[in-house]
Amino acid sequence: MSLHFSESRFCRAKRGMVLIIVGLLVIFSLNFFQKEVKGFFYLISSPIQRILWRAGDGVSDFFKTISEIKNLKKENEELRFRNQELISQIAQLIELEKENKLLREALEIGLEKEFKLSLAEVISKDISQDSILINKGSKDGITNNLPVIGQQKTLIGKISEVYENFSRVILIFNKESSFDAKISDSENDISGVIKGKGNLQLFLDLVPRGKEIKEGDFVITSSLGGIFPRGLLVGQIGKVLRNDIEPFQQAKIRPAFDIKKLETVFIISDF
Amino acid sequence: MVCRYLIPTDYILNLGAMKKILILIIIFYILALLQTSFLIHFSFFNITPNFILIAVLLLNLLEEPRKNNGIFGAVISGFFWDIFSNRPIGFHILILAGLAILIKIILRRYVQFPVVKRFQI
Repeated sequence: MSLHFSESRFCRAKRGMVLIIVGLLVIFSLNFFQKEVKGFFYLISSPIQRILWRAGDGVSDFFKTISEIKNLKKENEELRFRNQELISQIAQLIELEKENKLLREALEIGLEKEFKLSLAEVISKDISQDSILINKGSKDGITNNLPVIGQQKTLIGKISEVYENFSRVILIFNKESSFDAKISDSENDISGVIKGKGNLQLFLDLVPRGKEIKEGDFVITSSLGGIFPRGLLVGQIGKVLRNDIEPFQQAKIRPAFDIKKLETVFIISDF
Repeated sequence: MVCRYLIPTDYILNLGAMKKILILIIIFYILALLQTSFLIHFSFFNITPNFILIAVLLLNLLEEPRKNNGIFGAVISGFFWDIFSNRPIGFHILILAGLAILIKIILRRYVQFPVVKRFQI
Protein backbone atom coordinates (compact mmCIF):
# COMPACT_ATOMS: atom_id res chain seq x y z
CA MET A 1 0.00 0.00 0.00
CA SER A 2 2.68 2.44 1.11
CA LEU A 3 4.91 1.29 -1.79
CA HIS A 4 2.06 1.88 -4.21
CA PHE A 5 1.41 5.30 -2.63
CA SER A 6 5.07 6.34 -2.80
CA GLU A 7 5.32 5.06 -6.39
CA SER A 8 2.33 7.01 -7.58
CA ARG A 9 3.57 10.09 -5.74
CA PHE A 10 7.02 9.69 -7.34
CA CYS A 11 5.46 9.28 -10.78
CA ARG A 12 3.20 12.24 -10.22
CA ALA A 13 6.17 14.42 -9.25
CA LYS A 14 8.11 13.14 -12.27
CA ARG A 15 5.22 13.85 -14.60
CA GLY A 16 4.79 17.27 -13.05
CA MET A 17 8.46 18.02 -13.73
CA VAL A 18 8.13 16.79 -17.34
CA LEU A 19 5.05 18.99 -17.80
CA ILE A 20 6.87 22.05 -16.39
CA ILE A 21 10.02 21.48 -18.49
CA VAL A 22 8.02 20.87 -21.71
CA GLY A 23 5.87 23.92 -20.95
CA LEU A 24 8.89 26.16 -20.33
CA LEU A 25 10.59 24.93 -23.51
CA VAL A 26 7.46 25.60 -25.57
CA ILE A 27 7.01 29.08 -24.04
CA PHE A 28 10.63 30.17 -24.48
CA SER A 29 10.86 28.73 -27.99
CA LEU A 30 7.99 31.07 -28.91
CA ASN A 31 10.49 33.92 -28.51
CA PHE A 32 12.26 32.77 -31.70
CA PHE A 33 9.03 33.58 -33.57
CA GLN A 34 8.07 36.44 -31.26
CA LYS A 35 7.26 38.87 -34.09
CA GLU A 36 5.06 36.35 -35.88
CA VAL A 37 3.28 35.22 -32.68
CA LYS A 38 2.65 38.75 -31.40
CA GLY A 39 1.76 39.96 -34.91
CA PHE A 40 -0.84 37.18 -35.26
CA PHE A 41 -2.49 38.07 -31.94
CA TYR A 42 -2.47 41.80 -32.80
CA LEU A 43 -4.05 41.03 -36.16
CA ILE A 44 -6.94 39.01 -34.72
CA SER A 45 -7.41 41.37 -31.75
CA SER A 46 -7.14 44.76 -33.47
CA PRO A 47 -10.82 45.09 -34.58
CA ILE A 48 -12.02 44.43 -31.01
CA GLN A 49 -9.27 46.59 -29.51
CA ARG A 50 -10.17 49.52 -31.76
CA ILE A 51 -13.79 49.38 -30.58
CA LEU A 52 -12.71 49.02 -26.93
CA TRP A 53 -10.23 51.94 -27.22
CA ARG A 54 -12.95 54.27 -28.57
CA ALA A 55 -15.49 53.07 -25.99
CA GLY A 56 -12.98 53.57 -23.16
CA ASP A 57 -12.14 57.04 -24.43
CA GLY A 58 -15.83 57.99 -24.58
CA VAL A 59 -16.74 56.58 -21.16
CA SER A 60 -13.71 58.13 -19.42
CA ASP A 61 -14.51 61.49 -21.07
CA PHE A 62 -18.08 61.29 -19.77
CA PHE A 63 -16.96 60.60 -16.18
CA LYS A 64 -14.26 63.24 -16.37
CA THR A 65 -16.80 65.85 -17.45
CA ILE A 66 -19.05 64.98 -14.50
CA SER A 67 -16.19 65.10 -11.99
CA GLU A 68 -14.82 68.37 -13.36
CA ILE A 69 -18.11 70.22 -13.77
CA LYS A 70 -17.30 72.34 -10.69
CA ASN A 71 -14.05 73.64 -12.13
CA LEU A 72 -15.45 74.37 -15.58
CA LYS A 73 -16.49 77.96 -14.81
CA LYS A 74 -13.09 78.84 -13.34
CA GLU A 75 -11.28 77.11 -16.18
CA ASN A 76 -13.46 78.89 -18.72
CA GLU A 77 -12.49 82.29 -17.31
CA GLU A 78 -8.81 81.34 -17.30
CA LEU A 79 -9.04 80.13 -20.90
CA ARG A 80 -10.77 83.33 -22.02
CA PHE A 81 -7.96 85.34 -20.47
CA ARG A 82 -5.33 83.09 -22.06
CA ASN A 83 -7.16 83.35 -25.39
CA GLN A 84 -6.88 87.13 -25.30
CA GLU A 85 -3.15 86.84 -24.61
CA LEU A 86 -2.68 84.40 -27.47
CA ILE A 87 -4.67 86.54 -29.92
CA SER A 88 -2.34 89.46 -29.27
CA GLN A 89 0.67 87.13 -29.63
CA ILE A 90 -0.70 85.81 -32.95
CA ALA A 91 -1.04 89.37 -34.26
CA GLN A 92 2.61 90.01 -33.38
CA LEU A 93 3.68 86.71 -34.95
CA ILE A 94 1.83 87.46 -38.21
CA GLU A 95 3.83 90.66 -38.47
CA LEU A 96 7.05 88.75 -37.74
CA GLU A 97 6.13 86.08 -40.32
CA LYS A 98 5.70 88.70 -43.00
CA GLU A 99 9.04 90.25 -42.03
CA ASN A 100 10.67 86.82 -42.00
CA LYS A 101 9.25 86.00 -45.44
CA LEU A 102 10.57 89.26 -46.86
CA LEU A 103 14.01 88.68 -45.35
CA ARG A 104 14.08 85.09 -46.65
CA GLU A 105 13.18 86.29 -50.11
CA ALA A 106 15.85 88.96 -49.89
CA LEU A 107 18.47 86.46 -48.72
CA GLU A 108 17.17 83.67 -51.00
CA ILE A 109 16.78 81.12 -48.22
CA GLY A 110 14.07 78.51 -48.79
CA LEU A 111 11.64 77.49 -46.06
CA GLU A 112 12.53 74.48 -43.94
CA LYS A 113 11.47 71.19 -45.48
CA GLU A 114 8.33 69.72 -43.86
CA PHE A 115 8.43 66.18 -42.53
CA LYS A 116 7.26 63.19 -44.48
CA LEU A 117 4.47 61.83 -42.30
CA SER A 118 2.30 58.74 -42.21
CA LEU A 119 -0.87 58.54 -40.15
CA ALA A 120 -1.51 55.68 -37.71
CA GLU A 121 -4.23 54.75 -35.25
CA VAL A 122 -3.60 53.79 -31.60
CA ILE A 123 -5.13 50.42 -30.75
CA SER A 124 -3.76 49.53 -27.33
CA LYS A 125 -1.48 50.59 -24.52
CA ASP A 126 0.90 48.55 -22.39
CA ILE A 127 -0.22 48.00 -18.78
CA SER A 128 2.95 49.71 -17.57
CA GLN A 129 1.74 52.74 -19.60
CA ASP A 130 5.11 53.23 -21.28
CA SER A 131 4.33 51.96 -24.77
CA ILE A 132 1.47 51.96 -27.25
CA LEU A 133 0.56 49.80 -30.24
CA ILE A 134 -0.25 51.43 -33.58
CA ASN A 135 -1.75 49.96 -36.74
CA LYS A 136 1.16 50.56 -39.14
CA GLY A 137 3.99 48.08 -39.61
CA SER A 138 6.79 46.93 -41.89
CA LYS A 139 4.23 46.57 -44.74
CA ASP A 140 3.77 50.36 -44.61
CA GLY A 141 7.51 51.04 -44.63
CA ILE A 142 7.88 51.63 -40.89
CA THR A 143 11.30 50.91 -39.40
CA ASN A 144 12.77 51.01 -35.90
CA ASN A 145 13.62 54.33 -34.17
CA LEU A 146 11.35 56.53 -36.31
CA PRO A 147 9.95 59.48 -34.31
CA VAL A 148 6.22 59.54 -33.54
CA ILE A 149 4.37 62.84 -33.06
CA GLY A 150 0.87 64.06 -32.28
CA GLN A 151 -1.37 66.34 -34.31
CA GLN A 152 0.10 69.57 -32.85
CA LYS A 153 3.72 68.54 -33.53
CA THR A 154 4.00 67.25 -29.97
CA LEU A 155 6.59 64.56 -29.39
CA ILE A 156 5.09 61.21 -28.35
CA GLY A 157 7.92 58.70 -28.68
CA LYS A 158 9.75 56.49 -31.12
CA ILE A 159 9.16 53.14 -32.82
CA SER A 160 10.75 50.31 -30.82
CA GLU A 161 9.43 47.13 -32.44
CA VAL A 162 8.02 46.61 -35.92
CA TYR A 163 5.63 43.78 -36.82
CA GLU A 164 4.11 43.15 -40.25
CA ASN A 165 0.96 45.22 -39.70
CA PHE A 166 1.64 46.85 -36.34
CA SER A 167 4.38 48.72 -34.48
CA ARG A 168 5.13 49.32 -30.83
CA VAL A 169 5.92 52.89 -29.84
CA ILE A 170 8.07 53.54 -26.78
CA LEU A 171 6.63 56.68 -25.17
CA ILE A 172 8.85 59.51 -23.93
CA PHE A 173 7.84 58.56 -20.35
CA ASN A 174 9.59 55.20 -20.68
CA LYS A 175 12.55 54.68 -18.32
CA GLU A 176 14.76 53.82 -21.29
CA SER A 177 13.90 57.06 -23.08
CA SER A 178 16.35 60.00 -22.96
CA PHE A 179 17.04 62.70 -25.53
CA ASP A 180 18.36 66.25 -25.87
CA ALA A 181 16.04 69.20 -25.52
CA LYS A 182 16.14 72.94 -24.96
CA ILE A 183 13.93 75.60 -23.47
CA SER A 184 12.35 77.57 -26.28
CA ASP A 185 11.51 80.78 -24.38
CA SER A 186 14.97 81.42 -23.00
CA GLU A 187 17.06 84.25 -24.36
CA ASN A 188 20.20 82.34 -23.44
CA ASP A 189 20.22 78.90 -24.92
CA ILE A 190 19.39 76.47 -22.08
CA SER A 191 19.67 72.87 -23.09
CA GLY A 192 19.37 69.67 -21.10
CA VAL A 193 18.41 66.04 -21.32
CA ILE A 194 14.82 64.80 -21.04
CA LYS A 195 14.58 61.54 -19.13
CA GLY A 196 11.52 59.34 -18.74
CA LYS A 197 10.83 58.06 -15.22
CA GLY A 198 7.97 55.69 -16.02
CA ASN A 199 4.33 56.01 -14.94
CA LEU A 200 3.73 59.11 -17.11
CA GLN A 201 6.55 61.10 -15.45
CA LEU A 202 9.12 63.18 -17.32
CA PHE A 203 12.14 65.16 -16.11
CA LEU A 204 14.50 67.72 -17.59
CA ASP A 205 17.96 66.88 -16.29
CA LEU A 206 21.59 68.04 -16.64
CA VAL A 207 20.73 71.74 -16.68
CA PRO A 208 23.68 73.69 -15.17
CA ARG A 209 22.83 75.31 -11.82
CA GLY A 210 23.69 78.81 -13.03
CA LYS A 211 20.97 78.83 -15.68
CA GLU A 212 17.56 80.05 -14.61
CA ILE A 213 14.57 77.99 -15.63
CA LYS A 214 11.03 79.13 -14.94
CA GLU A 215 7.84 77.19 -14.42
CA GLY A 216 5.70 77.32 -17.56
CA ASP A 217 8.59 77.58 -20.03
CA PHE A 218 8.17 75.47 -23.17
CA VAL A 219 10.59 72.62 -23.83
CA ILE A 220 11.31 71.58 -27.41
CA THR A 221 13.57 68.96 -28.94
CA SER A 222 17.02 69.92 -30.19
CA SER A 223 18.80 68.17 -33.04
CA LEU A 224 21.85 67.35 -30.86
CA GLY A 225 21.28 63.62 -30.35
CA GLY A 226 20.00 63.06 -33.87
CA ILE A 227 17.13 60.92 -32.53
CA PHE A 228 14.35 63.46 -33.11
CA PRO A 229 14.05 66.42 -35.48
CA ARG A 230 14.44 69.79 -33.77
CA GLY A 231 11.53 71.99 -32.78
CA LEU A 232 9.04 69.34 -31.62
CA LEU A 233 7.11 70.37 -28.51
CA VAL A 234 7.86 68.13 -25.51
CA GLY A 235 5.97 69.97 -22.76
CA GLN A 236 6.08 72.73 -20.19
CA ILE A 237 8.39 73.10 -17.21
CA GLY A 238 6.65 72.10 -13.98
CA LYS A 239 8.31 72.13 -10.56
CA VAL A 240 12.02 73.06 -10.62
CA LEU A 241 14.18 70.91 -8.32
CA ARG A 242 17.37 72.62 -7.19
CA ASN A 243 19.86 71.10 -4.79
CA ASP A 244 22.97 72.92 -3.50
CA ILE A 245 25.05 69.74 -3.56
CA GLU A 246 24.20 68.71 -7.12
CA PRO A 247 26.02 70.42 -10.00
CA PHE A 248 22.89 70.24 -12.15
CA GLN A 249 19.28 71.16 -11.60
CA GLN A 250 16.25 69.13 -12.55
CA ALA A 251 12.71 70.09 -13.50
CA LYS A 252 9.50 68.14 -13.83
CA ILE A 253 7.92 68.35 -17.26
CA ARG A 254 4.20 68.57 -17.92
CA PRO A 255 3.88 66.65 -21.20
CA ALA A 256 2.25 68.44 -24.13
CA PHE A 257 -0.04 65.53 -25.01
CA ASP A 258 -2.67 63.64 -23.06
CA ILE A 259 -2.16 59.92 -23.48
CA LYS A 260 -5.83 59.23 -22.76
CA LYS A 261 -6.96 61.44 -25.64
CA LEU A 262 -4.51 59.97 -28.10
CA GLU A 263 -6.34 58.31 -31.00
CA THR A 264 -4.20 59.08 -34.03
CA VAL A 265 -0.47 59.70 -34.32
CA PHE A 266 1.95 60.59 -37.10
CA ILE A 267 5.16 58.73 -37.84
CA ILE A 268 7.94 60.89 -39.26
CA SER A 269 9.49 58.71 -41.94
CA ASP A 270 11.90 61.34 -43.24
CA PHE A 271 13.40 64.40 -41.51
CA MET B 1 11.24 2.89 -10.28
CA VAL B 2 9.35 2.74 -13.59
CA CYS B 3 6.36 4.91 -14.27
CA ARG B 4 3.74 3.81 -16.77
CA TYR B 5 3.86 7.04 -18.74
CA LEU B 6 5.62 10.36 -18.36
CA ILE B 7 3.24 12.57 -20.30
CA PRO B 8 0.21 13.33 -18.11
CA THR B 9 -2.30 12.01 -20.65
CA ASP B 10 -4.89 11.50 -17.94
CA TYR B 11 -5.06 15.27 -17.48
CA ILE B 12 -4.72 16.12 -21.16
CA LEU B 13 -7.48 13.70 -22.16
CA ASN B 14 -9.71 14.78 -19.28
CA LEU B 15 -12.53 16.66 -21.00
CA GLY B 16 -13.61 18.41 -17.82
CA ALA B 17 -10.12 19.82 -17.26
CA MET B 18 -9.83 20.80 -20.93
CA LYS B 19 -13.12 22.66 -20.73
CA LYS B 20 -11.93 24.55 -17.66
CA ILE B 21 -8.66 25.52 -19.38
CA LEU B 22 -10.56 26.65 -22.49
CA ILE B 23 -12.81 28.84 -20.34
CA LEU B 24 -9.73 30.30 -18.59
CA ILE B 25 -8.12 31.06 -21.98
CA ILE B 26 -11.24 32.90 -23.21
CA ILE B 27 -11.70 34.83 -19.94
CA PHE B 28 -8.05 35.95 -19.71
CA TYR B 29 -7.91 36.86 -23.42
CA ILE B 30 -10.95 39.11 -23.02
CA LEU B 31 -9.50 40.51 -19.78
CA ALA B 32 -6.18 41.30 -21.52
CA LEU B 33 -8.02 43.10 -24.34
CA LEU B 34 -10.14 45.04 -21.84
CA GLN B 35 -7.09 45.94 -19.75
CA THR B 36 -4.92 47.19 -22.64
CA SER B 37 -7.62 48.99 -24.67
CA PHE B 38 -10.52 49.92 -22.37
CA LEU B 39 -9.53 50.04 -18.69
CA ILE B 40 -6.27 51.86 -19.48
CA HIS B 41 -8.36 55.04 -19.90
CA PHE B 42 -9.37 54.98 -16.24
CA SER B 43 -6.93 55.86 -13.50
CA PHE B 44 -7.19 56.71 -9.82
CA PHE B 45 -4.52 59.15 -8.62
CA ASN B 46 -2.55 58.44 -11.82
CA ILE B 47 -2.53 54.68 -11.16
CA THR B 48 -4.38 52.26 -13.43
CA PRO B 49 -5.39 49.08 -11.59
CA ASN B 50 -4.06 45.90 -13.16
CA PHE B 51 -7.09 43.64 -13.38
CA ILE B 52 -5.12 40.70 -14.82
CA LEU B 53 -3.02 40.56 -11.65
CA ILE B 54 -6.09 41.03 -9.44
CA ALA B 55 -7.92 38.20 -11.27
CA VAL B 56 -4.97 35.81 -10.85
CA LEU B 57 -4.66 36.64 -7.14
CA LEU B 58 -8.40 36.17 -6.54
CA LEU B 59 -8.53 32.92 -8.52
CA ASN B 60 -5.67 31.44 -6.51
CA LEU B 61 -6.88 32.72 -3.15
CA LEU B 62 -10.53 31.67 -3.54
CA GLU B 63 -9.97 28.32 -5.24
CA GLU B 64 -9.68 25.16 -3.19
CA PRO B 65 -5.92 24.91 -2.31
CA ARG B 66 -5.56 21.34 -3.68
CA LYS B 67 -6.79 22.29 -7.17
CA ASN B 68 -4.41 23.62 -9.81
CA ASN B 69 -6.69 25.74 -12.01
CA GLY B 70 -5.23 28.89 -10.45
CA ILE B 71 -1.73 27.96 -11.65
CA PHE B 72 -3.01 27.24 -15.18
CA GLY B 73 -4.87 30.57 -15.05
CA ALA B 74 -1.64 32.33 -14.03
CA VAL B 75 0.27 30.81 -16.98
CA ILE B 76 -2.49 31.72 -19.46
CA SER B 77 -2.87 35.29 -18.16
CA GLY B 78 0.93 35.72 -18.11
CA PHE B 79 1.04 34.64 -21.76
CA PHE B 80 -1.56 37.22 -22.82
CA TRP B 81 0.13 39.90 -20.69
CA ASP B 82 3.41 39.13 -22.50
CA ILE B 83 1.68 39.28 -25.89
CA PHE B 84 0.27 42.76 -25.24
CA SER B 85 3.43 44.18 -23.62
CA ASN B 86 6.94 44.85 -24.90
CA ARG B 87 8.53 42.13 -22.74
CA PRO B 88 9.75 38.79 -24.15
CA ILE B 89 7.24 35.93 -24.05
CA GLY B 90 7.68 34.11 -20.74
CA PHE B 91 8.50 37.11 -18.53
CA HIS B 92 5.06 37.62 -16.98
CA ILE B 93 4.29 33.88 -17.22
CA LEU B 94 7.15 33.16 -14.81
CA ILE B 95 6.17 35.99 -12.45
CA LEU B 96 2.47 35.07 -12.29
CA ALA B 97 3.04 31.31 -12.17
CA GLY B 98 5.61 31.81 -9.38
CA LEU B 99 3.12 33.97 -7.48
CA ALA B 100 0.33 31.40 -7.95
CA ILE B 101 2.56 28.51 -6.78
CA LEU B 102 3.63 30.54 -3.75
CA ILE B 103 0.00 31.24 -2.82
CA LYS B 104 -0.87 27.54 -3.24
CA ILE B 105 2.07 26.43 -1.04
CA ILE B 106 1.13 28.92 1.69
CA LEU B 107 -2.55 27.94 1.58
CA ARG B 108 -1.84 24.20 1.52
CA ARG B 109 0.71 24.21 4.32
CA TYR B 110 -0.06 27.09 6.63
CA VAL B 111 -3.68 28.21 6.18
CA GLN B 112 -6.85 26.32 6.91
CA PHE B 113 -10.40 27.47 6.44
CA PRO B 114 -12.60 25.34 8.72
CA VAL B 115 -15.83 26.82 7.35
CA VAL B 116 -14.91 25.99 3.77
CA LYS B 117 -13.91 22.45 4.77
CA ARG B 118 -17.27 21.86 6.41
CA PHE B 119 -19.04 22.92 3.24
CA GLN B 120 -16.89 20.60 1.16
CA ILE B 121 -17.95 17.57 3.20
